[in-house]
Order: sequence, then structure tokens, then C-alpha cells
Amino acid sequence: MVDSKQQWKAWLYLSPAIVLLLVFTVWPIINTVRMAFLDNYSGLQAAGGETFSFGIENFTRVVKARRFIDCLRNTMLLCVLTVPISTMLALLIAVTLNSIKPLQKTLQTIFFLPYVTNSIAIGMVFAAMFNIVGSFYGTDRQLVTTAGIINNVINFFSTTFTGKEAMVNWINIGSAYRENIIVMTVYIVWNALPFKILILLGGLQSINKQYYDAARVDGTSRTRVFWRITVPLLSPMLAYVIITGFIGGFKEYTSIVGIFGENMGPANDRDRLNTMVGYIYDALENNNQGRASAAALILFGIILVVTLLNLYVSKKRVHY
Amino acid sequence: MSDENKEIRNDIKAPKSTADSSYAAKAVMSEKDLKKTAAAQTVMQILVKFLVYAFLIIMAIIVLFPFYWMINSSLKTLSEYREVVPTFWPRKIMFSNYLEAYNAANLGRLFFNTVIVGVVSTLLSLVITVLSAFAFARLEFKGKNLLFAGLLATMMIPGELFTITNYTTVTNLGWRNTYTVLIVPFLVSVFYIYLLRQNFLQIPNELYLAAKVDGTSDIKYLWRVMIPLSLPTLISITILKMMGAWNSYIWPRLVANDEAHRLITNGLRNAFKDTTGDVNYPVQMAAVALVSFPLFLVFVFLRKYIMKGVSRSGIKG
Amino acid sequence: MKAKRIIALVLAAVMLIGLTACGQNGGKTVGFDIPAGGYDGSEVTIKFYHTMGSNLTDVLNIYVEEFNKLYPKIHIDHQQVGGYDDVRNQVSTEIPVGTQPNIAYCYPDHVALYNLSKAVVTLDELIASQEKIKRADGSEEILGLTDAQKADFIEGYYKEGQQFGDGKMYTIPFSKSTEVLYYNKTFFEANGIKVPTTWDELEQVCAKIKQLDPKSIPLGYDSEANWFINMCEQYGSPYTSASGEHYQFDNDTNKGFVKRFREWYDKGYVTTQKIYGGYTSGLFISENETKSYMSIGSSAGATHQRPTADADGNYPFEVGIAPIPQVNASNPKVISQGPSVCILKKKNQNPQEVIASWLFVKFLTTSVEFQAEFSMNSGYVPVLKSVKTNPVYADFLSKADGGKFISALSAKICLDQVNAYYTSPAFNGSSEARSQVESLLVKCLSDSASNVDEFINKAFRDAVEECKDKE
Repeated sequence: MVDSKQQWKAWLYLSPAIVLLLVFTVWPIINTVRMAFLDNYSGLQAAGGETFSFGIENFTRVVKARRFIDCLRNTMLLCVLTVPISTMLALLIAVTLNSIKPLQKTLQTIFFLPYVTNSIAIGMVFAAMFNIVGSFYGTDRQLVTTAGIINNVINFFSTTFTGKEAMVNWINIGSAYRENIIVMTVYIVWNALPFKILILLGGLQSINKQYYDAARVDGTSRTRVFWRITVPLLSPMLAYVIITGFIGGFKEYTSIVGIFGENMGPANDRDRLNTMVGYIYDALENNNQGRASAAALILFGIILVVTLLNLYVSKKRVHY
Repeated sequence: MSDENKEIRNDIKAPKSTADSSYAAKAVMSEKDLKKTAAAQTVMQILVKFLVYAFLIIMAIIVLFPFYWMINSSLKTLSEYREVVPTFWPRKIMFSNYLEAYNAANLGRLFFNTVIVGVVSTLLSLVITVLSAFAFARLEFKGKNLLFAGLLATMMIPGELFTITNYTTVTNLGWRNTYTVLIVPFLVSVFYIYLLRQNFLQIPNELYLAAKVDGTSDIKYLWRVMIPLSLPTLISITILKMMGAWNSYIWPRLVANDEAHRLITNGLRNAFKDTTGDVNYPVQMAAVALVSFPLFLVFVFLRKYIMKGVSRSGIKG
Repeated sequence: MKAKRIIALVLAAVMLIGLTACGQNGGKTVGFDIPAGGYDGSEVTIKFYHTMGSNLTDVLNIYVEEFNKLYPKIHIDHQQVGGYDDVRNQVSTEIPVGTQPNIAYCYPDHVALYNLSKAVVTLDELIASQEKIKRADGSEEILGLTDAQKADFIEGYYKEGQQFGDGKMYTIPFSKSTEVLYYNKTFFEANGIKVPTTWDELEQVCAKIKQLDPKSIPLGYDSEANWFINMCEQYGSPYTSASGEHYQFDNDTNKGFVKRFREWYDKGYVTTQKIYGGYTSGLFISENETKSYMSIGSSAGATHQRPTADADGNYPFEVGIAPIPQVNASNPKVISQGPSVCILKKKNQNPQEVIASWLFVKFLTTSVEFQAEFSMNSGYVPVLKSVKTNPVYADFLSKADGGKFISALSAKICLDQVNAYYTSPAFNGSSEARSQVESLLVKCLSDSASNVDEFINKAFRDAVEECKDKE
């Protein structure tokens, strides 16, 4: 199958991409590996003429760090929660959106709107939605001055149906880990939706209508149509959004800063929600490029394993 | 095409009417003297429609809320914005924030720079992506799978680490404070190549082989067949790339922060600090809204093309 | 199969690296060698990174012009690089490549970071230099600082430049701020409350306010870290050290005041920015029933501590400003903040650039007119004592009140307590120590732990360990 003409043609077509990748991606990776294996490497100290010995101290220090396991757990947990939820939700929206006629275009536009807003502004809005200023115990020392809109809604339903006031401390001082994670999940899912909807809807609209028409003639049920036609034909797109979702999920950082700020957790527990990338940033901030690189390589290893797993599964399931 | 897919295709005996088969289906139903079932089904259908709309509209409201909040904030005074209990509509509407935002930054120049960088990098990036995706999807060469896996692997390294090394590279190349430095380093996106390759793979290989027999060149085939068929994906890529240029911040600030090449996000961030180094958030929100508006227009405009692209892809079935 | 190949690839890359490990010569911080004759009048361009907004760069531009009348061949290329952290990130990325600016706005922590590469010029030789420099208008100046110029700097600010453990001078103060106590003067006068000068008095005032208005939280303290560091300094108890054992804040005195503040918090006397979830100035100027009557915050943020005026321009209450409470009122201590400037050098640098940078820095920081105008426009405090006697600035100060001219009032209070200023030691890790004591204080105040002593002990231990972990 492999003829020589195709060989050189392929490399010709790939050459611009390869050249650029070599310079701006591969070389930085090599440099990262180099820094990871120079004990306590620091760019500024190197510029000052200091030398570093070859070794694995960066790795041992990363693994032994007090916060490392927490960072790993947070990252994994957010990934496992947000990828399935956002994919399902995006699929549901894409399918329902594809099934309607009136309002379709308007709704479609709305679902992409988050893409054209600044992520900083959105983070601030979400924080405000879940925020409680002044804490909510209502004791002498912690007076509620405002509760975010989410609590207003919860409180409304709670007082209507049970007659009791109910407020949840989502992200403020003294909030619990579970509530923090719920907020993060909501925000990350919200953030991930537009892209996933865009891809899935694009996929759906390229599925030929005749499949559905035929199914309808045969009287096939909606659920069956969904599982037997839509999902298989959409599987390349689904595989794509799931794989990139996992990769993105493991690199989660900015959304947590968006909600919790640089504190990476509620005020009384700094770094509680820190992630792997957050750990890397911390090291960079302190000019420990060596340790940052080591942490990045560890993260890389984890993502690699997960992605290979994903590819292995999708190879069995994806239909081209 | 997988076996299962072919199976589905074989199941389809071309529908009798292609005009509007749902009516056709209903017509068949009513002929079958099952009025009661039909009525029940209509009720079901209406109910389902209702639920579908309710779901979509609720989701739309959730999605829209931050957008509304941005506009709400952009119209407030700084002191109202800083209030502990946020107001849902400004007590005093400050359209002047928008004027201030426009004047404070050299917005014309910023727009110009951003558009140049956005358009040029999108075009070049599309060319590179199409060629690479084509090679991965259609051509056979040694080490293809290995190379592709290698590309995918590069997506997994946090980009922040590249910055340090790339900064050194572009400085050594003498690219600082040029358009080049804003365009070239990020032309190749493994994401896009992957996305487009998946799309190309869906186009039956038979077409390519037929084109080969006709003596059509690769480029012509790409232009005539592959590109029209994957237009939705290409447009998605265009949107994403333009967005990237519009929102990029850390890299441009590092490498091209002079008056002549500064991009919009950097310009806006710097323009609204008041004397204490605090940010005047309402004015900044106004600026963000101003900046988002052209993108919003571009999107609404391009959406038609997405539709067209989709309707043209009559290749399958 | 694919996995194996990729692993092989990664391993190959790892091997490659081993070969590229670097070897360079070491070096020690040495003072700057002043070329004979000082500035030789040659053409140089000086890059200056700062965080000034457009209203302040307007002021700066006027004085750059003035400077160019004296030194027409020294070109000043100044850029606003976002906020303070942006400047730090930019400069620390640029140093390894050698594209750093000649002058940069800095906080002591930043300088400690830059010092890892020994790129910061020590100023002692320049300050001491008696070289005579000819200026374009025919006049002459000495390259260094005259005794009068040196004495004119507010001492606490000037000393900040020497907080780096080796006694050498690395920075010159540019424009400063500190923390002050804002209080609701209208309320205080109506109820005959005396403004507290010590923490003991403050406790009594809080108790009194709580009686008068049980729904209030009498005091809001914006910066937890500053509170902790101020207390260490006021008690004379160790916080950090630039040399030797860095993190010294785990001691009984510090645990003592933390425990005391926890009791205050339990009684509802006090809240902080992190605990409250917003700037406590918001609580101070609040029109709701939950509010505070005292707020400790930055002197540069005075306008945010002023309530919103009504339609006629009247303020609902008058704001008073006082120095923050002390442990010992006769030996006051309060932290000094705000930007300084440092001069950066490169490898094989033209020494004329350093000289020219110094001349410009000296021009700005010793010019009474510039300091006066910059301060009035920024809300910061001038770094020179004699600015007080500058007619324009004196006029500004004379208008000071608790409403429209609140910035002037704040500046006045700051200038009246010049003996109280100090800065904490700066070293690589000092910013981490700051964030650790901040979260430490928040945690110890708000946690509902039953065994308080044990909890506080553990919190202190953990904070020190985290500092070391990130070193």
C-alpha cells in the first residue's frame, strides 16, 4: 500500500506543521525534560551563573510535597465528574436542538455566546452567584449581608415547600469540600458546553436525514434511533470531545482561580482545591523551573496513560 | 465505514417521498385506521416538544446569565459595583463607561492589530491544518501512526511550560515586537489537525481513488471535495482561532507589548487601572462588552455558512 | 504497541537531556564599578517598567521632559506593564534572556527574586560617588546623593532598600503608602468614644460599640498578612529573617496575639477581608444595618473608605483617620508599602546605561516637585520630608477633611507618623511567608475547633512547613 510517491507527498504536506512543531513544541519539551533532571534548577539562578547537578531530586521533592496528593486527587475528581456530565449534557442539547425548527437558530446562537465572553468576567459572575458575603451562620460574629442568587433560589423553594430557611455555604469561609467540588463541577461543565455543542451539532447536521426518515417509516422508537443511529454516526465526534475533555480536565486550573482566586480554596483552607497545573504554577512563581518541569512530566505521564486508554476504548467503539 | 454502519445503510430502502417524510409517515399512519393511537401519539409528540423546548430554554437562560451580568456591571458606577449586595439593574445607568473604555485605550489601533493577527494566523493555520489532516487521513507513509500519536502526546503538556523556552527562542530570532511573533508560534494546533482528520476520515476513500483515476491533483481534490465537505469543521476552527487571537493575553504581553503591535486584551487590561493600581471594573466590563460585540457579529454571520456547509454535504447515504 | 513506542520516544528524549546539562561560571554580588568621570554624555536609551495608569504617566512625561533638558541624550522609554505582579513576572522571564529593563518598579519580594540571578545593581557605590557630572544647562551635580538629599528621605522608606540580608542598598523608594485606621467620626463623636491608640483601648471601644449597636461588627481589617506582620513588629517578636533560618514566626508571642484575636472574633468584634468575603471598606461605608465603625486599610485607598455622597454632595457621615492601634503607643510601628525602583544590569552591559538609569532615578526620587505632583495624583505618600513644605502640596494638605479631600487627610496622617515605618525582610520565599501567615490568621480566627491551643499550634507548624516545602 505504501508507495514512495505518497511517502514524499505526505512529508511535503506535513513539513510546515512539523517544522513549526519542532521549534515551538518539541524543543520546549526537550528543554522541559532537561530542566526536570537538573536538581533544583532555577532559570534566574542559571542566569546568575549557578550550575546544577544531574539527578532526580526534583521528582522526589514533588512527590514528597505536602500538597501533591491533594492536587492529584482534586484533578482526578474534577475530571471524572465533569467530562461525563458535560458530554452527556452537550449531547442532549445538540440532539434536542437538532430536532426542532422554530427558535433553532436563536438558541444555537445563545449556546455559543459564552465563547465570545471573557473568561475572567464569567468567573467573577459565577463567584458572585454562589457567594455569601459575611457568612451565613447568623451568629454575632458572622452576619449575613448578602447571599448569592443560587442561595436565593434554594431558599425560595425551601421556604415554599418545607417552610424552613435553607442556605448552602458553597465557596465561602468554612464551606465543605463537597460543596466546593459541586460549584467547580457546575462552572467547568458550563465552560465546556459551547465547544462540545459546537462539535456535536456539526456532527449531527452532517448525518444524512435519510437514516432518520427510514427509521421513522420503520416505526423505530426514539430511544432506539438515538442509540442505533445517532450515537454510532456521531461516535468520532464523541470520541473527540471526550478525549480532549479529559486532556483539558487534567490541565484544569484557571476555572478554579476564576471562582476561588489565587487562594485555590475557601479562605480558611488555602490550596484545598489546588490542581496539578496549579502546583506547576506555584513552582514557576517561586522560580523553581526544575520542580515545575518535573511536575509537568508527571502530569504528562498520567494524561498519556488516560489518553491511550481512551484511544483503546474508542478504537473498539468508534465507527468511521 | 464500519460494518455496522453499512448494515444501517443496507436497511434503508430509499424512502418513497423525500420531500417531507414526516408528513408522509403521518399520512401512512392515518390510512391505517388507528386514529386513537395517532391521537395519543400526537399528544405524546406535543408533550415531547414541550419538554424539549422547556429544557432548551432553561439551559439558554443559564447560559445567558453571565452575559447579562457583564452588561449589567458595565453600566454601573464603580461604587455601585463594589457594593456588597449586587444590584440586578444599575440604579444610575452609566453609558459613559463605554465612552471612557473606547477613549482610554487606543482602541482603533488595538482593533487593527488584533484583526491583522487574527486573520493572518487563521488563514495560515487553516492551510497548515488542512494539509496535515489530509496527509494523516488519506496518505500512507512510514511512521504515520507513530507521528500522529506523538502529536497527540504534545497536547498533554501544560502550555505554560513552553512559554519560558519559546520566549528565549523568539528573542534569539529577533522577533520581539513584530507581528510574526504573535502569529507564527501558534500556527500549528494539534487539536485542529485531529479534529479535521476525523472529519476527513468520514469522507469515503472511493472518492479519492476515483479522483486519482481521473488524474485530478491532490490540491484540486482537496479544494473541490474535501474542503466543501468539511466546511462546518473548518468554520469551527476559524471561529476558535479568531477567538484565540482575540482573547490571547499572556504571550502577547510578554513578546509584543509595544504601542505598534499591542493586541486588544492587553491594551484593555492596561488601560483601566486607576491610581491605586485598582482596576475600574465597570469600565473594563464595558470594554469587554465592546470587544465581544464584533466577535458576536462574526459568529452570527458565519452561522449561515455552517448551515450551508451542512446542507451541501449530501455525500452519505 | 503505540504506548511502547511513545515510551521509547520519551526515554530517548530523556537521554538527550543528560548530554545538554550546563556548566557556567559562578559569581558573587559585587558592587558597581563606576567608570571614571561618571556619565560621559553618550547617547543611551533607558527602559523603565512601571504600573502607572494614564493619569500618572502624564505626570511622568512632564518630568521626563524636565530631565531631558538636563540630559538630552538620555532617552527614557517607559512602559506600563500591568500590575505589580505583572512587572515581576515580566522581568523575571526577561532576565535569563537578557532583555530586562534598566529600571523597574519593585516590591522587596521582587528584588529578592531578581537577586537569584544577581541582576540587581547595588546602589551603595553610586550613592557615595562624588564624581562631578556636567549637565546640558551648564550646571553641575555630583553623581551620588548629597547629605541633604539623603537626610530628606523618610528614614523608614529609605531603609527598605537595605532589607536583603547583606546590608547593601538595592532599591530607592519611589512612592509609598501604609495602613491607617479609618473611623466613623460622626458616630464616635455622637457617642463620646475616644479613638483607640493601643490594642487594649481598641478592645474596649469594640465592646462599647457592640453594646450600642449589637448588629455591627465594630472593626474590619483588610489585610490579614499585614495585621500579623504589624503585630510581630510591634511586639518585637520574630517574623522572618533574610539570613539564616528564614521562617521564625512559630513562637509563643505570636500564638498569643492570634489567640486573643480569635476571642475578639468570637465576640463579633472584628472581621477581615477573607473572612468577610469582600473589602471591609464595603462594610464600613455600608448603608445596611450590618456595618462596621472602624476599618484598617491602605492609606492609598482612602476614597474607597468614604461613603457615597447624596445628590447634594453631602456625605452620610464624616470619616476620621488615625494611625493604627499599637502595642506600645510610645514606640509605634506600621508597615510601609508601595513601589520602590531598582536598577537592573545585564551581562557585558554598557556601564553608561547604569549611570544614566541612576541619574534618572535620582532625579525622580529627589525632586520635591515631582514627588508632590505624583502624590497628589496617585493618593500615595511622597518619600521626601520636604515635600510637606512645597507650597502646592502644603495647600493640598491644608484642605484635608473627612469628605471631599479625604486623600489629603490620609496623606497628612501618614506624613505625621514617619518614625513608625518599617519593612519586613525580603528574601526568596518572603512572599510565600506572607501568604502563609495570612491563611494562618484566617484559619485560626474562624475554625470551630474545640481544642483551640492544639489547633493553633498545628496551624503554626503547618505554615512553617509549607513555607519550607515551596522554597
